[in-house]
Amino acid sequence: MDKMKDIEWAKINKDVLGSLESPRMIFWVVLAVCSLLVAAGVAAEAYQYNEGLGVALMNRPHFWQLYISNFIFWIGMSHSGTLLSAVLLLTNADWRKPIYRFAEAMTLFSILTAAFFPVIHLGRVWNLYWVMPYPNERTIWPNFRSPLLWDASAIFTYATSSALFLYIGMIPDLAICRDNAKGWRKKLYSMLSLGWMGRAREWLAFRKTYVLMGCFLVPLAVSVHSIVASDFAMSIMPDWHITSFPPYFVAGALYSGCAAIITLFVMLRYIFKFEEYMTVDIMDKIAKLTFAIAMVWNFLNFSEYASIWYSNDMYEKEVLIQKLIGPYWPVVWGMLLCSTVAPFAMAFEKFRQNMWAMFVLSIIIQLGMWLERFQIVSPPLASNHEPWTWAVVWPGTVQMTITAASFGWFTMLFLIFCKVFPSVSMYEVKELVFHHRRVSARSEIEDLDKEKEEALRAQEGVA
Amino acid sequence: MRKKNLKFLFALYEDFDRARDAVAELKILDLKETAVEDIELYSPIEHPEVEEILGEIHQPIQRFTFFGAITGAICAFLLVAAAAQSMFTVQPQGGKAVIPIPADLVITYEGTILFGVWITLLGFFVYSGIPRRLTRLYSRKVSEDQIGIEVQVTPEHADAVRSTLEKSGALEIREV
Repeated sequence: MDKMKDIEWAKINKDVLGSLESPRMIFWVVLAVCSLLVAAGVAAEAYQYNEGLGVALMNRPHFWQLYISNFIFWIGMSHSGTLLSAVLLLTNADWRKPIYRFAEAMTLFSILTAAFFPVIHLGRVWNLYWVMPYPNERTIWPNFRSPLLWDASAIFTYATSSALFLYIGMIPDLAICRDNAKGWRKKLYSMLSLGWMGRAREWLAFRKTYVLMGCFLVPLAVSVHSIVASDFAMSIMPDWHITSFPPYFVAGALYSGCAAIITLFVMLRYIFKFEEYMTVDIMDKIAKLTFAIAMVWNFLNFSEYASIWYSNDMYEKEVLIQKLIGPYWPVVWGMLLCSTVAPFAMAFEKFRQNMWAMFVLSIIIQLGMWLERFQIVSPPLASNHEPWTWAVVWPGTVQMTITAASFGWFTMLFLIFCKVFPSVSMYEVKELVFHHRRVSARSEIEDLDKEKEEALRAQEGVA
Repeated sequence: MRKKNLKFLFALYEDFDRARDAVAELKILDLKETAVEDIELYSPIEHPEVEEILGEIHQPIQRFTFFGAITGAICAFLLVAAAAQSMFTVQPQGGKAVIPIPADLVITYEGTILFGVWITLLGFFVYSGIPRRLTRLYSRKVSEDQIGIEVQVTPEHADAVRSTLEKSGALEIREV
């Protein structure tokens, strides 16, 4: 981080604005692959729309399957961006500055991706508007006692607030873009920057607003995933009706979100040539944080197993046994391998500071967390209270295609965002540089003062 | 609101310390001749110490936040409570609470945050003065690496202010 104090402010503008113009060739390759995945997903959804949910192999007892797992996965991924950005903002952690923008964008796009899944899962997509809070023709309102409606309101609040938090934090940078752009970009940035000129009153109002919004977003982010956990915990299904589900979900969400930040960090660093801003030092800090969250998640996971085991509830115990040695064992053990064992690599400094090793590990962790969501949803449905309904069903081609498309959709939106808007906050990096310079100038003056004092003392001693 | 018959001078400085010295010089000049109507400082980053030189800038945005959050809580609770009442007339509840407090608190909580965030944003617009058009004096250097000072002066004092700005190390001075 100390190296950053030598970066000139004009160079920061040049580097970040340059990223909007000339990414590496791989950018276009990834974008093309993602577009193909999205096209395949649209085709699969169109097929499911015409033929019905049966083609997705969803039938009793598997009412919920991969779509809901994906929904939880994407909501979880959205967690870390805004939450970490807000927490680090409130605690004045300056290593947040070069990375928070893309992390917040990640939040927004993961919510947009997650929002598709309940709709796809409905099957009857045309009845989506039933979830809106207004009475139907029999004057019956949606049931606000249902966790599903809590979910809808929490996700709406989180998506809106995260989008506003991202936008407000971007206004000073949009003004920089406006001052340097031409053509359609100039028009776009002029409109979005709202005439920002960097006046003292603008900065003061901006900082106050940003901090106040940060204060709202921290509890909001925690509430959103707690409410997603309530979708399960409020039911009486074995392995779902668990008190520790909300904190377990929040920890899991933070964990997978941090892993996603690492993946995108390495990707952006390479594609947009941000080596000077996304430093090894920052990666080291994110890795340590991810490791700590991994341990919290592990603790909650094993405490859940322990509480089921010692509760001696036969239904709960049966599901746990089925999970570990039943037909879904590859999913559960795969999750434990990827999300419990693999993160221990981050205990080593050399590993944490190797960008590509961290990239691979972050993908392994995300795979583990995706499996975790699947093993939360599917195995309990396959061995619930009624043995006559027991059936093992694996997701078919339609579900897998739509799942793959969601990854393409997310990456496509994210890359387009990074191509149109600055993914590194220019003004915050300038602040970082400014404060580091001040601190180093102060320490130099203090050193000189000490040297003078020592010289004077030495002279007095001689005298 | 801009007063008529005022001149606007805009000076650019290399760094914040020079700009701060320039403002101090302008304040001394103002004490002697009452020359300066208003001073505005433009910078590429936030300088929290700016209030020490320009004077306190009163921006009680937190009041918007507070009242926004309270309004949100009330509106959300009323929505779910009223919806439950409507259900009560149509569908008998069979012993369940008409207004279930624990369930309604979740929606109330979300409403508190949603309105809190939106009304805070309104406060931001009110006190920052944006959206607005760019002034003619605005320089893009301010968004890069220089600090700008905009001074409103009466025409008879414009020369004195200009020379003060020049003496304090202005890189460029514009006038309207």
